[in-house]
Amino acid sequence: MPSILLQDASVLPAGDGGTHAPILHPLSLELDTARTAVVGANGSGKSTLLKLLNGLVLPDTGTVSVDGLDTARHGAAVRRRVGFVFTDPLSQLVMPTGRDDVELSLRASVRNRVQRRAAAEARLEALGLLELADRSIYDLSGGERQLMALASVLAVEPAVLVADEPSTLLDLRNTAWLRRIFASLPQQVIYTTHDLDFAADADRVLVMDGGAVVFDGGPREGIAAYRALALGVG
Amino acid sequence: MRRSAGAGDLLGAYRPGTSSMHAAPLGLKAGVLVVLSVAVLALRSPVLLALAAVLVLTAYAAAGLLRESWVPLRLMWPVLVLLGVFQWWASGVEAAVMVTGNIAVCVTAARLLTLTTAPQELLDGLVSLARPLRPLGADPERFGLTLALMLRSIPFLLGSARDVRESAMARGLERNPRALTVPVVIRAVAYARQTGDALAARGIGERSETKVAKGNR
Repeated sequence: MPSILLQDASVLPAGDGGTHAPILHPLSLELDTARTAVVGANGSGKSTLLKLLNGLVLPDTGTVSVDGLDTARHGAAVRRRVGFVFTDPLSQLVMPTGRDDVELSLRASVRNRVQRRAAAEARLEALGLLELADRSIYDLSGGERQLMALASVLAVEPAVLVADEPSTLLDLRNTAWLRRIFASLPQQVIYTTHDLDFAADADRVLVMDGGAVVFDGGPREGIAAYRALALGVG
Repeated sequence: MRRSAGAGDLLGAYRPGTSSMHAAPLGLKAGVLVVLSVAVLALRSPVLLALAAVLVLTAYAAAGLLRESWVPLRLMWPVLVLLGVFQWWASGVEAAVMVTGNIAVCVTAARLLTLTTAPQELLDGLVSLARPLRPLGADPERFGLTLALMLRSIPFLLGSARDVRESAMARGLERNPRALTVPVVIRAVAYARQTGDALAARGIGERSETKVAKGNR
């Protein structure tokens, strides 16, 4: 598995002179488990932590590196290794159809248009999305869009998949579909979720509160710690 | 956020097909479009305008999209009427017919190109167009991607403007310019940032190594 290393990485509010609490307190962590779920209340710093992992957010102090590549100095190389799926697929899909969006992902690696089209079809078929490939992204359901956005990110075969609340907009059926896809991926997967069943699929759970990781361990203990924190129950 | 169907229709979302128009090379279609547009706009001949209109309608028929040919007129008629009335008042009937006719023919012809060209082929064409500028420091991939994103953004932004207008009407603020414009601008900036984040997250449009601006959180 690739190794993601955070060393005293912290994130401060933009333009802040130290008057407000950090968005993310200094954090040292190594992420090298196949499946890591991050849970926590809204505003606890989950999304910021995830954005640190592929250089979408740079740490104000400390460093973040992926397989030894610093996200601040080698951002493009890090993003080739770490794919990122956003909560809202409409902000992620930038072309009119899923097929076009997957082909856009492949432009840098497959120059020939015919080969690119074939490669895009193969990737869509692998995720069971080929029949939706030519529909306008606006005509897809929320779940279909999210899966299409996932296909676009996976098309370039990143070593790590980072997903920020990928199941938030999905119904039960599509959530189950997404969980099956996540379980079958060869990539290291790191995701945030409010769905505790989805979190239980992970090998490791991080619980965040107030911009800090307050628990790091197995899924059963992690979910229990989050319940205790959020609901005040054991 | 809903898509603005009107804007999408005017720009002409790709309609897959197997006609000769679909199969024709993008360079040929673009070349004919440029020659036709320059000819009708430069020569200002009613006969040429009529010939161009017939040619464009024939091309739509060949593409199996004849019913689509009137869509630009349906969407642009208020602008064309205003222009026509002004030209009639300023320069006479012939000028009114020529100006509005030229615009309608050029837009309708341009729309056929986007209707019959797959977005990836269009993107490849735009990249090829910018390739000669590479020695001057231009990045053809970024140029093509920018124009493709512009085409994708217009329907979204017009849909946003419609949503804001409806929200303002629901609150009885339809005559308040601030209520109609400020949310549209804020949404446009948010949309631009989201799209930038999405592209950056996928490493699309990046030079070899770039730093992401602080504040993206």
